[in-house]
Amino acid sequence: MEQEKRTFSQWFLSRKVQRVLVITTFMFVPLLLLVVFTYFPFGKMVQFSFYDKKYIGEMRWVGLKNYIDVFQREEIFQALFVSVYYMGGAIVQMALALFFATMMVFKVKGEAFFKAGIFFPYLIGGIAVGFIFKFFYARGMVFDTILQMFGMDIENIPLWLQDKSINNISLVATSVWRYMGQNMVLFLGAMMSVDPDLYEAASLDGANKWHQFRYIIMPSIKSIIVLNLILSISGSLSAFEPPYVITNGTMGTGTYFVIMNRLAHENQKVGLACAMAIVLLAIIILCTVAQKLFFKYVFDDGTADESKAAVRRRKQEEKRKKAEAKRGGAAV
Amino acid sequence: MKKKSLKRTMALALVAGMTMSLAACGGNDSAAGTDGADNNGVAATEAGGGAVGGGTESGVPSIDAITVGEDYKDLTASVKILTNRTDIVDTVYKGYADQFMALYPNITVEYEGITDYEESLNLRLTTGDWGELCFIPTSVAKNELENYFIPLGDYGTLDAIYNFCEEKTFGEKVYGIANGGTASGIAYNKKVWAEAGITEMPKTPDEFLADLQLIKDNTESIPLYTNFAAGWPMGAWDAYTDVAATGDPDFKNKMPYMKDPFAKRDDMTGPYAVYYCLYESVARGLIEEDPASTDWESSKTRINNGEIATMVLGSWCVNQFKEAGDNPDDIGYMPFPITVDGKQYAGAGGNYGFGIAKDAPEENQIAAMLYLKWLIEESSIYEDEGSIPARKDAPYPDVLADFEGVELLSNNPAPAGEEDLFDNVNNYGEVGINNDDYPDCAILEAALYGERTLDEIMDEWNQKWAAGQEAAGVTVTE
Repeated sequence: MEQEKRTFSQWFLSRKVQRVLVITTFMFVPLLLLVVFTYFPFGKMVQFSFYDKKYIGEMRWVGLKNYIDVFQREEIFQALFVSVYYMGGAIVQMALALFFATMMVFKVKGEAFFKAGIFFPYLIGGIAVGFIFKFFYARGMVFDTILQMFGMDIENIPLWLQDKSINNISLVATSVWRYMGQNMVLFLGAMMSVDPDLYEAASLDGANKWHQFRYIIMPSIKSIIVLNLILSISGSLSAFEPPYVITNGTMGTGTYFVIMNRLAHENQKVGLACAMAIVLLAIIILCTVAQKLFFKYVFDDGTADESKAAVRRRKQEEKRKKAEAKRGGAAV
Repeated sequence: MKKKSLKRTMALALVAGMTMSLAACGGNDSAAGTDGADNNGVAATEAGGGAVGGGTESGVPSIDAITVGEDYKDLTASVKILTNRTDIVDTVYKGYADQFMALYPNITVEYEGITDYEESLNLRLTTGDWGELCFIPTSVAKNELENYFIPLGDYGTLDAIYNFCEEKTFGEKVYGIANGGTASGIAYNKKVWAEAGITEMPKTPDEFLADLQLIKDNTESIPLYTNFAAGWPMGAWDAYTDVAATGDPDFKNKMPYMKDPFAKRDDMTGPYAVYYCLYESVARGLIEEDPASTDWESSKTRINNGEIATMVLGSWCVNQFKEAGDNPDDIGYMPFPITVDGKQYAGAGGNYGFGIAKDAPEENQIAAMLYLKWLIEESSIYEDEGSIPARKDAPYPDVLADFEGVELLSNNPAPAGEEDLFDNVNNYGEVGINNDDYPDCAILEAALYGERTLDEIMDEWNQKWAAGQEAAGVTVTE
């Protein structure tokens, strides 16, 4: 017995067993948290999407009916159309962020002040931003007053939240206002890693600021641009706070999330809302993969110095030159 | 170099991803509380269980058997009262207690204000040691009433004296008497309506719209303020579709079985008439210029000072409007302008009901009974709060003067086994009466942009209702 026990403790204390033990114990907590709070609820949501379910009461199995409903409902695809506004906003937001980040990267006076000022909106909660802009856009309030100061007649100022041709743009602007600073800081961080000597060298070669941006900064931060674009696009598909707080999704501003929230909470169609969430997940995955492929083609995922398209172009060019040279040689 | 920048990128991506997902989490629920936050404690009608349980008998007399000011003059006791009205517990309520203690010097009456009333009471009730008199939390089901409260009297006797007794009755015993009640109607600024030349209150939708037109023509005020942007004030229109629009306390129970409940009726009653008022006032330009940017808080002051003439909201809003400015006496409240067979109706419901602790010492129970009777019958509480008095024969407070001659009815509880039928049809069909503001918002939008007629919307609602009936497995019989 004695003998056996010792061997067990020896075996137990051996390096191999200890390593496995340490790995599993350290992994256990994060894995448990991940499973319990991420994958288990997600699994439940997938399950609910096949049921007719209210918050309280029995669930009824309905198979794929919820999914069919999602694709048959007019308002849901109208909501996806609203997301196009937010995607447009995402592009504008990134362009502005790149512009400001580039300004900051070359020494400017009061850099810290501008950086903080532009980043500040991101620190305000989404709901608070909503309330700020609710009053900003209200008839005769902040925005209208400013425009009137510049001599505009109140009769000619549109109703920012009511007029269906512009109310989505008004809402998207609030989201651009909020996230632009955060994008800028991310870009700025990436731009800081560019060696400043390059700018000097480039300017000696006669490159102006635009050239420096186009040929030094842009290629160096490709990967972060791609990342931001992917985050912004999936973010615009799931836009929620501005329409929820400012217009409550009325007057044609209901985004996918707002509609989903309404179905789940007001009409207690939890199953349908779950199905909507999963369809949105699929759409976001599709969009992300599509973008990935696109950038892989254009930018080669931001890691190579040359994109696939550029490589192909160069190769074709070389081929052509070779052929030309051959022909030229033959002629000679 | 490349490896390093890749790492940095990944770290940044991680941080960005995490902050974004965090932000998304935070957003979802913080706004949920905006609805109904102003609704101060209107007790919901509960559908009760069927079983009969006997009330416990004790030496405490029933509330109808005592005479305040004569009986128990030498009783020494103390009464502690729990209330949710933390805003007035040390002022108005303390004043009532002082008046009563002048009448009964040996009885000490003390109020305790509790924030987060429902939650706290659920815990404190079960301990038994909380005081003598409280507002019965709505979460106490009817068949549990006898576990916490003593019976105040028999239903047959008390129902003849007090309003809203059935809400806290179980097994023929009344365990709670409502602290008055509220009626549903329309808040308006009396001065503006008078200035516009209106002498008689409207009784039909068309009279109402004509009056709003008069206000638009003759005054500077906004005839009807919808508070569209807040959402819930639009949902408030649903509250008039049952009793006020039909005069039938069973309408809500019949609706799940009805074919086309939203169809237009020739005598301009029913749900259609309610939404007709909304649609037409928007279509005729009788509302605020930009409904998308309305503001609830400032609208209270604006109706008080006459910038706004009318708002369609439950009577709980009246006191808030009065307190919002210098002209409390200008605020009036009128019944919804629909007349059914020559008579106007208004939906009414009881506020929180008062209950007396079962575990308190007997002399304290008697003292609590005395105070309760004095409070609901002799104090000025209903005039102060502007609510329907507890006693059926008591005069209405000034603010409800327009309700003289209007019959107040509460919806009858749903028959046993059908308690959730209305909700099921309502939710399956997504008509959203009383729970979804969006369909009401859609009416306003349709009228504002001139996209659809009311008849088209009501047809759609009828179809949705039919779909809801089908999903809930209801056979249409009416």
